[in-house]
Amino acid sequence: MDPWLECMDFGVAMTKEAGKMIRDALQREISVREKSSPVDLVTETDQKVEELIISSIREKFPTHSFIGEESVAAGAPSALTDGPTWIIDPIDGTTNFVHRFPFISVSIGFTVNRQIEFGIVFSCLENKMYTARRGRGAFCNGAPITVSGQQDITKSLILTEMGFKKDSEHFRAMMANMESILSIPVHGIRAPGSAAVNMCLVACGAADAYYHIGIHCWDMAGGAAILTEAGGVVMDITDQPRQQRRRRSPPELPV
Amino acid sequence: MTNPESMEEGECWAECLDVAVRIARTAGQLVQEAVKQEKSVSSKSTPTDLVTEADQQVEDLIISTLRERFPSHRFIGEESSAAGEKCVLTDNPTWIIDPIDGTCNFVHSFPMVAVSIGFAVKKELEFGVIYHCFDGTLYTARRGHGAFCNGVRLQVSKEKDMSKALILTEIGAKRDPNTLDIFLGNMKKLLSAPVHGVRIIGSSTLALCHIASGAAEAYYQYGLHCWDIAAAAVIIREAGGCVIDTTGGPLDLMSRRVVAAGSQEIADYVVQQLQPISYGRDDHDP
Repeated sequence: MDPWLECMDFGVAMTKEAGKMIRDALQREISVREKSSPVDLVTETDQKVEELIISSIREKFPTHSFIGEESVAAGAPSALTDGPTWIIDPIDGTTNFVHRFPFISVSIGFTVNRQIEFGIVFSCLENKMYTARRGRGAFCNGAPITVSGQQDITKSLILTEMGFKKDSEHFRAMMANMESILSIPVHGIRAPGSAAVNMCLVACGAADAYYHIGIHCWDMAGGAAILTEAGGVVMDITDQPRQQRRRRSPPELPV
Repeated sequence: MTNPESMEEGECWAECLDVAVRIARTAGQLVQEAVKQEKSVSSKSTPTDLVTEADQQVEDLIISTLRERFPSHRFIGEESSAAGEKCVLTDNPTWIIDPIDGTCNFVHSFPMVAVSIGFAVKKELEFGVIYHCFDGTLYTARRGHGAFCNGVRLQVSKEKDMSKALILTEIGAKRDPNTLDIFLGNMKKLLSAPVHGVRIIGSSTLALCHIASGAAEAYYQYGLHCWDIAAAAVIIREAGGCVIDTTGGPLDLMSRRVVAAGSQEIADYVVQQLQPISYGRDDHDP
């Protein structure tokens, strides 16, 4: 009997509710605030979706812990403990959401003893529900997905994200990384705007790798489970196994 | 059957548009099937400028269908042009076709691929049809008659403040160090405005449709072709946006470069940031 299956099913149901809330919000005016910089946006919908998810899960599983993007922004602790923990990004791709640009997702990763047990990513506008339970494979809308299997870097499609960086060295490095990758040459680089969706695009073979410096744990947790179960690899950019909490060292995902 | 060229011009182009919509859907559904199958891929001008058998088959289907219906019309198609046909726009009614826009995405099954059909008469763009092969979204516009997405009216973003803009671009086929320096330099300048973000989706026509729908404020690219611009230019203009040359002057359809935006203010700002990258012209000999 799978001890976490009930949690996963509940998580999927809440994610669908969250997706509906996001789609409804897209029909209305969206009020936007800036967080750490003019390009780090948050909306009321981010906060409402996170409250919905956390309050519903807390009611059903009162001993569980939470790491949510908006809760952390409001001062909640973000340390990962051994207990069952839900790691939540209520809207991954908030900038896309503000603009009504496709590639907006809800992302949930669930850990026990600091190991990811399942991941859920719902790409709301595409209506694609990605799920993976550790050891049981990865799925999109119930159909199994696998990575591309591409091993030739010159035939690969690479995903990343680019945005303004206040730190000029970080900015310089971001552009230099793109130049290195494009010069290999690869087939192309795409920047759709949602980290969780990017990981799922690699998981279903639509792209061959994703790299990102500056990603958060709530962007990675759900997608990492899905990508790993689809046969992919998630690693730190220093070529070490990825640790869930090392934001400084983000995941790189060669197939 | 009435000879279309003896009818009022407006009615004639409306009929042509209806035919374009039907063939775009048929072609798009073929592409949707082909994306699930094995693809044979080769490269054109550079190792990253890809073409598949499906590109050629879909273009043949579109052109043969249109030619049978409108035997006196002219055609400019991506694959015909690659095969050596001249890419010259005359006063004659001319169909300007990209059978698979986003061939690299098609090869990878990355979900941004479109069929694009533009139409010009007396060198003026009259209508455009773009069909999103993965989700079946249809974008259409006819000069003077508005722009639509699945029948719903399109309206560009009215944003004039660059610091609230989302910018789209594409990389282009050239990957030499000089080109990459300019490409990345242009992107860094725009990111530093700072804009809300830059997105790259791999299909010029669908990116341009996102300008028409208001989902992004501006698009700029060096290295695209007339068959990428023709349909989308009508759609954006009919949605209230502007489509111009990267130097700020009027659009030059064969120049292989474009800036499109919801507002003139945003278009002007983008133009000012850009250093040019030369890709030659579509209407020059290769």
